[in-house]
Amino acid sequence: MAYLELAALKKVYGKDIEAVKSFNLKVDKEEFIVFLGPSGCGKSTIMRMIAGLESVTEGNILLEGESIIDYQPKDRGISMIFQSYAVWPHMTVYDNVAYALKLRKISKEQIDKTVKEVAKISDIYQYLNRYPNNLSGGQRQRVAVARAIAIKPKLFLMDEPLSNLDAKLRVSMRTDLKRIHQELKTTSIFVTHDQSEALSLADRIVVMNHGYIEQIGTPNEIYHDSESMFVAKFIGSPPSNFLTVKVKEREDKIFVIHSDFELEVKNKYKKALKNKYINKEIILAVRPENFTINKKGILKVKCNIIEPQGSHVVINIFVGGEEIKVVSNILTLKTNEEIDLGFSEKIAFFDIETEKRIR
Amino acid sequence: MEKNKKGTVKSVFKSPYMFLVPALLFYTFFWLLPVSLSLIESFTSIDGGFSLENFKMMFDDPLFGEAFRNTLIFAVISLFLQFIFALMFALLINRNFKGSKWFLFIMLIPMAIPPSAVGILWNTGLVESGWINSLLSVTGLQNLIELLGIAEGPIIWKEASGLQAVFMIILIDTWTVLPSVMIILLAGLQNFNEEYSEAARIFGANRFQALKDIVIPIIKPTIITALLLRIISGLQVWLISVMIFGFNNVPFLLERIVFYTDQVRLGVYSYKLSVTYSVFVVAVVSITAYIFIKLTKGKDWSGTSE
Amino acid sequence: MNSAGKKTLFYLAITFIAFAVIIPMMYLINISISSAIEVNDFPKRVLPVLSHDLSIEWDDESSYYIISRKSFSGEYEELTYSSKFDKIETYLITYLNISKTEEEIEEDFIVARNTGDIIYLNYNKDIFNNFGKFFKVFDGASAALVNSIQAAAITILLSMSIGGSIGYALARTKIKGKDAISLGSLVVRMFPAVSISVPMAVLLVKFGMYDTMLGLAIIYSIPNIGLTAWITRSIFMSVNPEFEEASLVFGASKIQTFKKITFPLVLPAFAASSMYAFITAWNDTAVSLLLTNNNETLALLIYKSMGGSASIHYAASGAILLILPALAFTFLLKNYINKMWG
Ligand SMILES: Nc1ncnc2c1ncn2[C@@H]1O[C@H](COP(=O)(O)OP(=O)(O)OP(=O)(O)O)[C@@H](O)[C@H]1O
Ligand SMILES: [Mg+2]
Repeated sequence: MAYLELAALKKVYGKDIEAVKSFNLKVDKEEFIVFLGPSGCGKSTIMRMIAGLESVTEGNILLEGESIIDYQPKDRGISMIFQSYAVWPHMTVYDNVAYALKLRKISKEQIDKTVKEVAKISDIYQYLNRYPNNLSGGQRQRVAVARAIAIKPKLFLMDEPLSNLDAKLRVSMRTDLKRIHQELKTTSIFVTHDQSEALSLADRIVVMNHGYIEQIGTPNEIYHDSESMFVAKFIGSPPSNFLTVKVKEREDKIFVIHSDFELEVKNKYKKALKNKYINKEIILAVRPENFTINKKGILKVKCNIIEPQGSHVVINIFVGGEEIKVVSNILTLKTNEEIDLGFSEKIAFFDIETEKRIR
Repeated sequence: MEKNKKGTVKSVFKSPYMFLVPALLFYTFFWLLPVSLSLIESFTSIDGGFSLENFKMMFDDPLFGEAFRNTLIFAVISLFLQFIFALMFALLINRNFKGSKWFLFIMLIPMAIPPSAVGILWNTGLVESGWINSLLSVTGLQNLIELLGIAEGPIIWKEASGLQAVFMIILIDTWTVLPSVMIILLAGLQNFNEEYSEAARIFGANRFQALKDIVIPIIKPTIITALLLRIISGLQVWLISVMIFGFNNVPFLLERIVFYTDQVRLGVYSYKLSVTYSVFVVAVVSITAYIFIKLTKGKDWSGTSE
Repeated sequence: MNSAGKKTLFYLAITFIAFAVIIPMMYLINISISSAIEVNDFPKRVLPVLSHDLSIEWDDESSYYIISRKSFSGEYEELTYSSKFDKIETYLITYLNISKTEEEIEEDFIVARNTGDIIYLNYNKDIFNNFGKFFKVFDGASAALVNSIQAAAITILLSMSIGGSIGYALARTKIKGKDAISLGSLVVRMFPAVSISVPMAVLLVKFGMYDTMLGLAIIYSIPNIGLTAWITRSIFMSVNPEFEEASLVFGASKIQTFKKITFPLVLPAFAASSMYAFITAWNDTAVSLLLTNNNETLALLIYKSMGGSASIHYAASGAILLILPALAFTFLLKNYINKMWG
């Protein structure tokens, strides 16, 4: 039995705005799940349904095997961090953390103990008597974390908690969140549209688009084994390159043909292509780092633009009129230099119609 | 030399404080002058020397005590009623239910009715064959009233007196000014970050606790503004009383002022008396406002400095 | 309780509250178009009565028409009798607000005489009759209307120019004493207009402004200047000076910039504060009671109409006339207010 189960969850706003369309997910205890997707894809809506702030149109939410959709938010044993932190401005940091405990009618001494404990964990001990308006964004963020962990929730929801922080703080905060998760092991769901956040935090990532799940998987699976063109495009920076190619069969060998090159398909995809796609167009997807340069390549191209990134360079190249981006650690490449481009083993094919992976 | 002088003159005119000069002149002539004048007038006798006889004359007004009492009762009770109802309606409208725009539209109507029209409106209701008795009779409530022995036959509203009349005026006033209180609270609620109360509800508060512990304390500055304005104008009630019950029947402090200025023509005596009443009202308003601010003042959490 | 039940209860409560506002208004409207006869009707109708059901009977013995009117209970009650159509015409317009010519009446009534039957007629009321009457019954009503408009216009002008410049200075310049200014605007608000008006009367006489609309507008501006300053300040602050700078950079002149950029952006604020100014002036009774003699405002006239012997339905139609502009103004500018409050 899963710890948290979202079963065919659906949300319709008004008459016909389908924010979430049949959402299925099983979360194990102590897992850290990240919802990743573009703006407006329904991430917040799902979180709010789990928290009880939004009614469920259809489907069910089971926590420890028990349906919670008829419970008030306060009775669900869930805590949440909001994008705006929602740290109450009229209470001191101490009272912010203690409020939930007071409502639970816990003794004063116990509250004091808990508040101080979580304040230490989230590193706000010295600010306990301040009002939130006298704290920086990062400090407020920590107060929100302290408040959320103080009640020892069954489930910890975070809706883009880091998006209001500056870039540097965001990175350090995310390390802190990961540390806190490893310490407390609270089952967590984290929403973001920042892929690097998702990749670095998640046990599993749920990639969403238009209220659908595109793919569920570990960060590695999502990145290296993208199930759809949407995921391949959404994850990775720069994202995956797409080239339209035609499948041909010659003397029992399978080739994909592009105006500028031909590539023999040798690996596991050979069979799949042969079965369904002979003489059809498909999409060849290659991540920028999965090219080879000057190592027995299959086409000669000119480096169009070179963007140095310190540890590596991003090269823009035209292949048959389409621009692709290639990442290389050869830092000495020059604009207009001719290179010998090849593909590594890690390439993927997508159906041009369904945009799904061909396996 | 010439040029230099011109430069400084020009810079005086260019100073941003020039923007305040019209206001300064205006308030000196049309506010400070009359206010000081009335202070002087109220503390001097007719022959010009300092004296408290005007105040003695005011306290000797047989209706002074009742006017004072009525004014305070009116201000406090109407404030309380209006706050509760305005908050309730503002919360309702803020829920953005279907038709909430229309509801808001309707609720704002009384705000747009000039007070003397309000007087007419309720006069047409309170006369014996007026619409209030019509409504009671059509809905069958009249029968209920007679059955319960509250009244025999149609109620003659305009014969109400004392506190009963004050309460009637409170209800009419509440009907009239509720929207203006509500609209300020609504503005406060609309600027209120909904996530604050959602957070409270997730962390264990029910709707009422979230309202009491989170929403109201956070929008408190707005509430205080609304209520302060209300209590100030609540202390200035007179028009409805006069339009419905006439002068001298349900006295209020301002009703006394208008009475002595407009109705009695005792020359300098009635002028002195109304000036004294004016000064007294200003004192009552200031003291009440001061007490109100003191009472509602909590810890200051809005500061951005330590 | 299930959610459908809750919803029903919720809307029931909403409807009840809305009715508490609408029903008094409906009665007032109906009374404002009532005829002299209807004023004494009981119970009063809540929905506007736009016509009368009349029955006409020819009394052969006395040779006159008996005119009866259908009452609330459905029975016909006798109103009057007459054989002269010019008398009947006058009666209908005076007591029933029905404007029909002698000829029209004759044409309808003659049927009763010819057939000997009781005939039933439905005559529409002239709903504007009372409004016309209002100006006749209360002489000076039209002058009062003009006065009210004048006072409101001067108030708007005063509060805008004086308050607007404070607002601008507060938002755009580095003047000191901002707290003092906002405290000051609160203090002046706290002094009841009536309290100011009593000594003001003496001053205005001295300045030659007693019994003028300028004198009234000055008092009305006292609380409004602060309000205007506050509203315009917040708008001037929300209009990013960079917009203006950007426009200047692109080669627009200062005046063009103000016309094209600043003015449209601050318009809502000016509209809103002019609304407040208008309403203060238009609604006031007390100040004009104390500071005018012959030049009364419309609101004051309505106030005084209560004491007079004139019947309440004329006062009611006057009240409607007073309400309409205030209502229109409030709701016309409501969108701007909403915009301001985000
Ligand atoms: N109260 C509402 N009424 C109508 N539609 C809504 C409402 N709330 C959200 N939506 C719609 O539902 C969809 C999903 O919204 P949601 O807030 O869940 O997106 P999100 O994935 O959290 O986006 P973001 O990354 O921008 O926060 C959006 O298209 C949004 O317009
Ligand atoms: Mg969101």
